[in-house]
Amino acid sequence: MTIDRATKPKEKGKIKFHLPTIKRFTLSNGLKIIFVEKNNLPIIQFSFISQAGSKNDPTGKKGLAYLTSLLIDEGAGKFDALQLDDEIESLGSILKCSADQDSFSISILSLKENLKKSLNILSLIITQPRFEEPDFIREKQKLLTKILQLRDNPEYIASSAFRKILYKDSPYFSSTIGYYKDVENIKPEDVKEFYKQNITIDNSTLVVVGKIKIDELKNLVEKNFNNWETKEHKKLQLNNITPTKANYYFVHKDGAAQSQLRIGMISKSRNSKDFYARTIMNSILGGQFSSRINLNLREDKGFTYGASSSYQYNKHSGSFIVSTGVQSVHTGESISEILKELKEIRKNITHDEVNFSKSYLIKRYPALFETYSQVASNLMLLIIHDLPDNYFDTYIENLEKVNSNEILKAAKENILLDQIAILAVGDRKIVLPQLEKLSDGKIIELEI
Amino acid sequence: MINVLNIEYEKFKLNNNLDVVLYQDKSLPIVAVNIWYKVGSANEQKGKTGLAHLFEHMMFQGSEHVPKEMHFRYIQEAGGTLNGSTSIDRTNFYESVPSTNLEMVLWLESDRMGYFLPALSQEKLDNQIGVVSNERRQNYENQPYGLAWEKLFSTLYPENYPYHWPTIGWMKDIENYNLEDVKKFFNAFYSPQNASLVIGGNFEFAEAKDLVESYFGNIINKTEIPKLNVKPPKLTESNKVILKDDVQLPRLYLAWISDKAYGNDDAKLDILADILTGSKNSRLYKKLLIDKQIAQDVSAFQYSGNLNGAFIIVATPKPGVKLDVLKKEIFNQINFLLKSGITKGELRRSVNSYKSSFIYSLQNLDNLANQINNYNCFLNEPNSFIYDIGRYEKVTGKDVISVTEKYLNNNFVELNVMPNKKN
Repeated sequence: MTIDRATKPKEKGKIKFHLPTIKRFTLSNGLKIIFVEKNNLPIIQFSFISQAGSKNDPTGKKGLAYLTSLLIDEGAGKFDALQLDDEIESLGSILKCSADQDSFSISILSLKENLKKSLNILSLIITQPRFEEPDFIREKQKLLTKILQLRDNPEYIASSAFRKILYKDSPYFSSTIGYYKDVENIKPEDVKEFYKQNITIDNSTLVVVGKIKIDELKNLVEKNFNNWETKEHKKLQLNNITPTKANYYFVHKDGAAQSQLRIGMISKSRNSKDFYARTIMNSILGGQFSSRINLNLREDKGFTYGASSSYQYNKHSGSFIVSTGVQSVHTGESISEILKELKEIRKNITHDEVNFSKSYLIKRYPALFETYSQVASNLMLLIIHDLPDNYFDTYIENLEKVNSNEILKAAKENILLDQIAILAVGDRKIVLPQLEKLSDGKIIELEI
Repeated sequence: MINVLNIEYEKFKLNNNLDVVLYQDKSLPIVAVNIWYKVGSANEQKGKTGLAHLFEHMMFQGSEHVPKEMHFRYIQEAGGTLNGSTSIDRTNFYESVPSTNLEMVLWLESDRMGYFLPALSQEKLDNQIGVVSNERRQNYENQPYGLAWEKLFSTLYPENYPYHWPTIGWMKDIENYNLEDVKKFFNAFYSPQNASLVIGGNFEFAEAKDLVESYFGNIINKTEIPKLNVKPPKLTESNKVILKDDVQLPRLYLAWISDKAYGNDDAKLDILADILTGSKNSRLYKKLLIDKQIAQDVSAFQYSGNLNGAFIIVATPKPGVKLDVLKKEIFNQINFLLKSGITKGELRRSVNSYKSSFIYSLQNLDNLANQINNYNCFLNEPNSFIYDIGRYEKVTGKDVISVTEKYLNNNFVELNVMPNKKN
């Protein structure tokens, strides 16, 4: 064939893509199941998710949900911690337990041939955790040491300090991992109590993705979970989160080779109406490699290895955050450039940018359903944010119908110039003079 | 289960010696393009370290028919993902796009293989020197323990040995590249005869072949590929080095020179690593983290390249525990392993973990295409998943003991990362 290098080859036709069909059912004890059949490999993934996380940590015990997630696979039913791990490893299955702000989850990825054994182990972990004292002491000690080690990590310092700035007195103010003093105070009964209050049938869903027929699945999960009984979960009352105060913040990190920057504000929740317009707007601003912020700071100035912006949603609210690490001597200039971009996007968005971002978001969609755990994570998103089952089916259509005016409006309504908090983590000698110039000397210094 | 691992493919060479492998999988409307250039940091010279990695960056800066920033933009606009990575032995570039865009990806990849130099400029080079310097600051200098690896390898290997320096390069070298270096490097290594192209996913064979021939067929090889001529490294004595870092806890690194990738002992050493630290029941994990609780973490692995490998053990002590205590316990356990042998249960656990991880790895088309390319480049046979699993299945308890004796009784490098000051 003859080719013409001077012009970009055209797309050939349109792709055909069918989104997975979501099936739901409920066990006799009330446990909800969401299932997607996926047959391209002999694999099955189970993800159990409860809607409770570090937001449910009691005051003074921040880190409890996370510690519970460390302890949950340390022995269950007839198996002690080491026996349990040996069972899982010998099957070649992969178990993952985690906690975040809003959720607590336990997942197992298994070969189809080991499906029954893997599911049985998962159900033991969920319904009969041992929570034994020696395991508790060991895992608590591990968490304390981890918290100590995180003081070395500038990205973590920046992100957790910024979380505290944005979420102030809301339960979301602490990072999931918690605080040293708080974790020191956690007792074995606290973990058991957390589990009893939050990991309950009415608060949980089992997500299943894999090579199995629905009838076989129904029988298997019924058999494994029908003995499980729990009370109703403890409800959490949350106050509204107050808007962010515009301020400069600084954390000193001796000898830091770069400055970590976080710039942003509290924003609307995931379910608010302009979600799609905001998503496109953020994609143009800093949501992907070819965005304004990254092209400016990386490809034009060479100040950074990468800069991005994102909306980070929890169940009750959201935040908009620009994150980057920049060469220390360019800290002030980088902040100015980011602020310039935040102002600019409220004034002008081109049709080219809109078309590019829509194309990017829409056409990459099928690839978000590639692996078994990707599909499971997408389904977990539905649960956390109470999204409708047709969310995936309508996603592309919803993006397509947003127009340029709505995107510009989303920028004006969501990038709130009088509410921008600015945090730099870096070396005092180099960074503070630059911040002082920008802020007229009004800088709030935080401890690590 | 074995069926899904027996992949069907077509392989051919173009007249310019570009190696091409086509692997079809129509389960999703996605196609992945994965290209390996057989050049890594091992091919660099002293004083010009990091050039292969810088080059990975430069390859995204446009070519004669693709303006700066447009390589990323075109792929993203099509809904694709893309990246590249540089190791000691190779540089890879990969894109995964909706299957309707295969031609565009081949256009982009072939343009930077054949028409890169006309678009090269000092301005682009200066910009990427800035970006790479910041990558080094962010991922190495500003990371806890971030400079440990380069210290370890530069102690393990002599100054002129190709694995002596880090892939990202020394900072003073990064800051001093010039256009002439970049041009020479391109002409030496970025040619069809030094590359292997894998297309995986949803496409038609005839059309893909035609496209590859049309876009890559005319690209010429400019020079011979410079060959690496080195003697196998030997550590004449054990060495201990100390590195100060801004960290709360010290960390212990132990490294032995070992077998190369796909060498006779490579898989045996992988199994040894798994038996030492791969799970809660593994020897070192159980002893250090559960029984004695003197370590926060411990990991062992066989890190193997074209020329040779290194067997590495890393451990972080709990606050207040001295590195020598960890070191002593680690060697006690290695000696105990040599005496007691491996149980059947231990071996089964390790082999099963490796086996299932092969199946799980097939989930992602980018990974799959990259693994096929790995097999093609190392073994000259793209369909090597079953062979590769076989390497692990064949390992016996005796094999594990014999590689432990063969390598871990030799001289080694010990690195202690120590906190700068008491907090």
